[in-house]
Amino acid sequence: MKLSSNKNTTKQIEQTDTRAMSGTIDRRNFLKIMGWGGVGTALSGCDLPSTVTLEEGKEEVMSYLMPEEYVIPGVGVWYASVCAQCSAACGTHGRVREGRVLKLEGNPESPINNGNLCMMGQAGVQGHYNPDRIKSPMMREGGKLMPVSWEKAMSTIKEKIAAARGDQVAWFTGALSGHQFALVANYLEALGSKNHYAHETINNSVWQSVCKDTLGEANPRLRLDKAQMVVSFGADFLGTWVSPVHFSGEYVKFRKQARRGLLVQIEPKMSLTGANADLWLPSLPGTEGVIALGIANSLVKNHNKDISQFPSGIQDLINKYDAAAVTKMTGVDEKQLKRIAELLNERSPSLVLAGAPVEGHANGYNAVAAVMLLNQLLGNIGNTIESAGVFPFEQMQGTVAGTSSLFSFTQAAKNNKLAVAFFHGANPKYTAPTALDFDKALNNVPFKVALAQFLDETTMAADVVLPLASYLEDWGTHVAAYQPEQSVIGLQQPLMEKLYADTRGLGDILMDLLKTVNANEYGGFADYYAYLRQAHAAMPMQNSNNGTDQQAWNASLQKGVIKVTSNAEQLTFNAVSFDDPVVASSDAGTSTLYLAPSARLGLWDGRHANLPWLQEAPDQISKLVWDSWAEIHPSTAAKLGIKQGSIVSVKSEHGAVNVKAVLLKSIHPDVIAIPMGQGHEFYGRYAEGRGANPLKILNPTKEEKTGELAMYATRVSVSKTNQSEVVVKMGSSDTQVGRRLVVTMPVEQYQRSEGA
Amino acid sequence: MAVNKQNKKSFGRIGALKHNWNIKLALLSILVALAVYPFVVISSDASIDDVIPPVGTHVGEDVPQPIEFPHDIHVKVNKINCMYCHTYARRSKVAGIPPTSKCMGCHKVIATDKPRIKELTEYWENKSSPPWKKVHDVPDFVHFTHERHIKRFVTDRDFPVENVKEICAFCHGEVENMTVAHKVKPLNMGFCVRCHEDNGGPADCWTCHK
Amino acid sequence: MSLDNLLSNWSQYRKGHEEGGFHDYEHRWGMAIDLDICTGCNACSTACYAENNLAVVGPERFEKGQAMHWLRVERYWDQSELDHPEQGASFLPMMCQQCNAATCEPVCPVAATYHTPDGLNAQIYNRCIGSRYCSNNCPFRVRYFNFYSYYESSWPEPLNMQLNPDITVRDKGVMEKCTYCVQRIRSAKNKAKMEDRKLEDGEFTTACAQACPTNAIVFGDWQDENSQVAKLWKKHEVTRAVTKQNKDNPEKRGYRIFEELNIDPSVMYLERVREKV
Repeated sequence: MKLSSNKNTTKQIEQTDTRAMSGTIDRRNFLKIMGWGGVGTALSGCDLPSTVTLEEGKEEVMSYLMPEEYVIPGVGVWYASVCAQCSAACGTHGRVREGRVLKLEGNPESPINNGNLCMMGQAGVQGHYNPDRIKSPMMREGGKLMPVSWEKAMSTIKEKIAAARGDQVAWFTGALSGHQFALVANYLEALGSKNHYAHETINNSVWQSVCKDTLGEANPRLRLDKAQMVVSFGADFLGTWVSPVHFSGEYVKFRKQARRGLLVQIEPKMSLTGANADLWLPSLPGTEGVIALGIANSLVKNHNKDISQFPSGIQDLINKYDAAAVTKMTGVDEKQLKRIAELLNERSPSLVLAGAPVEGHANGYNAVAAVMLLNQLLGNIGNTIESAGVFPFEQMQGTVAGTSSLFSFTQAAKNNKLAVAFFHGANPKYTAPTALDFDKALNNVPFKVALAQFLDETTMAADVVLPLASYLEDWGTHVAAYQPEQSVIGLQQPLMEKLYADTRGLGDILMDLLKTVNANEYGGFADYYAYLRQAHAAMPMQNSNNGTDQQAWNASLQKGVIKVTSNAEQLTFNAVSFDDPVVASSDAGTSTLYLAPSARLGLWDGRHANLPWLQEAPDQISKLVWDSWAEIHPSTAAKLGIKQGSIVSVKSEHGAVNVKAVLLKSIHPDVIAIPMGQGHEFYGRYAEGRGANPLKILNPTKEEKTGELAMYATRVSVSKTNQSEVVVKMGSSDTQVGRRLVVTMPVEQYQRSEGA
Repeated sequence: MAVNKQNKKSFGRIGALKHNWNIKLALLSILVALAVYPFVVISSDASIDDVIPPVGTHVGEDVPQPIEFPHDIHVKVNKINCMYCHTYARRSKVAGIPPTSKCMGCHKVIATDKPRIKELTEYWENKSSPPWKKVHDVPDFVHFTHERHIKRFVTDRDFPVENVKEICAFCHGEVENMTVAHKVKPLNMGFCVRCHEDNGGPADCWTCHK
Repeated sequence: MSLDNLLSNWSQYRKGHEEGGFHDYEHRWGMAIDLDICTGCNACSTACYAENNLAVVGPERFEKGQAMHWLRVERYWDQSELDHPEQGASFLPMMCQQCNAATCEPVCPVAATYHTPDGLNAQIYNRCIGSRYCSNNCPFRVRYFNFYSYYESSWPEPLNMQLNPDITVRDKGVMEKCTYCVQRIRSAKNKAKMEDRKLEDGEFTTACAQACPTNAIVFGDWQDENSQVAKLWKKHEVTRAVTKQNKDNPEKRGYRIFEELNIDPSVMYLERVREKV
């Protein structure tokens, strides 16, 4: 079956930068002119309830002042841009009508998402039109945030910067890339500071670190499309891992090979990828490395794989974990373990991946290294794991964003090393475990600036709040850490006039700050747009033609991506030594269960909890909506006397949360999973006071090699309370009760009828 | 279509002129005259015999507009084509209230001393548009489309474009005899459906209601 | 409409598709959904919210079954005898199946739901009186009733600026359902007619099919034998107007849900595949 569906239908993608072409009008005025013409006509599409009025003269209709030729009322125009809902940097098309952006779709020009877009990307418009956006700058006065002018806010910031030592200034951001990253870096450099803390709770930093050490590249290309078999230890590549939309596309190729690709997923709690596996195995958190070594052992012993290529320490480890030992330690059936090894041997090349549950322990690095070792043993390096090459614009690539920044920032703040801190794209006050004492550290920073669209927990603690334009109103460039075969820079452009005149783009704010510390270099630019134009003109790129600078810019805008060349190299494997990946089983007393703070495609790490579509979209596995819950295996629940909907108290050394229990078999019996995303104290009407935040009760354990937060290393005790609540979920039946709704076909039959 | 080309051309120039106040008036008036020329009706002898116009009348209310726009002067006296101003009618579902730049295209030089034009100029200089009131409105669950009606009754029948006002009059009445527009046709479902029946229009509900 | 008329229309109608149809269809929109590559990610459902002005109802109303998800992704567990679902979950994107002999249509007392000349199940909001008979009669439970007026609660300003002006926002007391993105169909048709040409396959698609990260949903004109969807139906030997498929090769994956009810659905699903390890 050919699966090239028609993603690029009959859209005509406009080159927007007629702003500059109109010559005499500067771009802001242009947008103003074209922006609000059609309010009357536009809103007539949405009738106000029970007020169907046909009376003449009741509705107003504003005409355009001076529209561009391609602006036709009643006709949607599509513009290319970049999605900023996670850091995968998918290309988007936005449909604009009467000056409003109505819908986002994937951009087929982008090799990252090939015209597709996930639910979070689709919901980008709801962040943009969110009723809880910050509309003006604010400053703390008498303990409260009060509206102030931009001039006042910026002059206060500049005064504080001038008063502080340069190295006392810090930026705390999410995964930042492109020119925005370059400007932050340049700003800090101009001040003589090295304090850029990049923080993402949902990350793959340990995997990147292992790749870097063993292969020399942090983000090698993973060729799902060439793999005959994928064994994934908790890497939810269809849902929350690295570049989900890209991998979904690759997953189809993987499944549609002449012989259907085989997917085995091993993880504590079923992820979206696990739900699509041919074999899903529950694992006890922290034992994944041992399982990987057990498979390696079987490959060496039963399938003649070459062990001599590894250092003796690793050889010892492989020899140590024979199937019997692994079974004893992990509970994974011996036969199944051997069968997986047998299949891996048979289906070559294969691909073995490791995700957050493997990374999230004190020795997570070792476990990931054990998984990576399988790839070498199976001959996957250079085959299904390829060099991504060196991205030509290093300064645009951004740094690895993870959780070690939480520790380092806290440490620096506690030691009074920070005087001014800027926050953007991260909400550490929400994501930091209570035990980290982040709140106290934050209090130790005398002056905090939040660049934000919403009043989240961190923003509420800031001294100055600068209201940001949404990513649908702003300029920018994005470079994904994980690049597909064709490396690209995503070009983000405003899809409409700013909703609130008093908001500003991140780039513009950075330019303003840079002008005070480095007037020589930045004084000449009117704004961030001017800077980007110049940067674009200086860029050697594949899709530049022989035309003028303006033509090249228009072409880039129309495509939404700038294709660049990264020279791929031959990957070589350097075995790194690592210690036993087993988790020391300490006597945990009554804390018998492992806590899995699971990631959801939807609310993500909590940043999308204020988007009503995503709140109302059922969780893919449990099908619950609008809430937090604890997934627990029915057998464990029975032991604890817990029923569906019982409110349980989940208690760690560092705190407790109360959530309702949801009984599901898609979890290891010794694990309790609470999804991330809810439990916001502040974050607007859709997020506030809803559910609980599992991150708060995590142990502040560090992954020893990388300094990342060990997210899966917290043991908890679970007790029931006397209360219970209705579980609000989609669908009343968990089984098909004999109806032919989803019919499953054995692969043998499929191979006969459709295979090659 | 010739209309299209001319239209765009004049449009672009006027757009650019907005910020070049010093351009000589003489040049401007020549341009404007050239632009308007093809829309001036020379004769009117086209036939609409093969079409059964919709039937029905309605007594519309007076709708006070921010500026009392005289359709009669523009259509009857100056013989300007409907689609010169309502330019979107043939390419969108909405006919469109003309952009203010279109008004100013002529009125930067024509009748600048008249009070209404002074008012208009004020809007233009403040970079805003007059808040026109909608006269011909249908409920929000009705999705009427102008372009297909223009195509059916004008383009497909080789009906002379210069006489398009006769087609517009099916639903909008004789606007050439009004100052500001009045609703003189009922524009209710019976009015639409009967015409669709008489002239072979689609009878599928989802054509208009969706 | 007299009772006699109604009864005779209905019996004609019920027989219609068995006798080879009762319309000369211009198009017959259909779908093919490959459950083997559907990952259950919800992108389609969210795209539907964005395209079709679907109201967000909130948890209290969701609990009462009043959610308005025209396209919902159902999840079933098939191996209930095991301690763990070893083969993962079974996902099913479920939307209106646009039945050719729809059970919802004949029960509408006001003909607010009817069959269009392009083979769709139409719902006319301004005609609907909210009897809910249609929803009661739908075996797929894909009709959604506006128990409340959601305009203010679902789209507080400026969220209402996202609303798609091409379709109506439904008010209290009105039934609604998946339309196969009729506004996209009609605007593509409109464009083709304006350009005096025929609609081409792939020229447009529904919001769900557009969004799908694995391209599991294929939409098109079933009557155009060169369309991707028609080819898929043919390849998997699924035909219309039958209550049981009679395949030359019974190992082909195509099937239709509840076709035994003699409703002739327009969505062909392709069976999910699993390999026993």
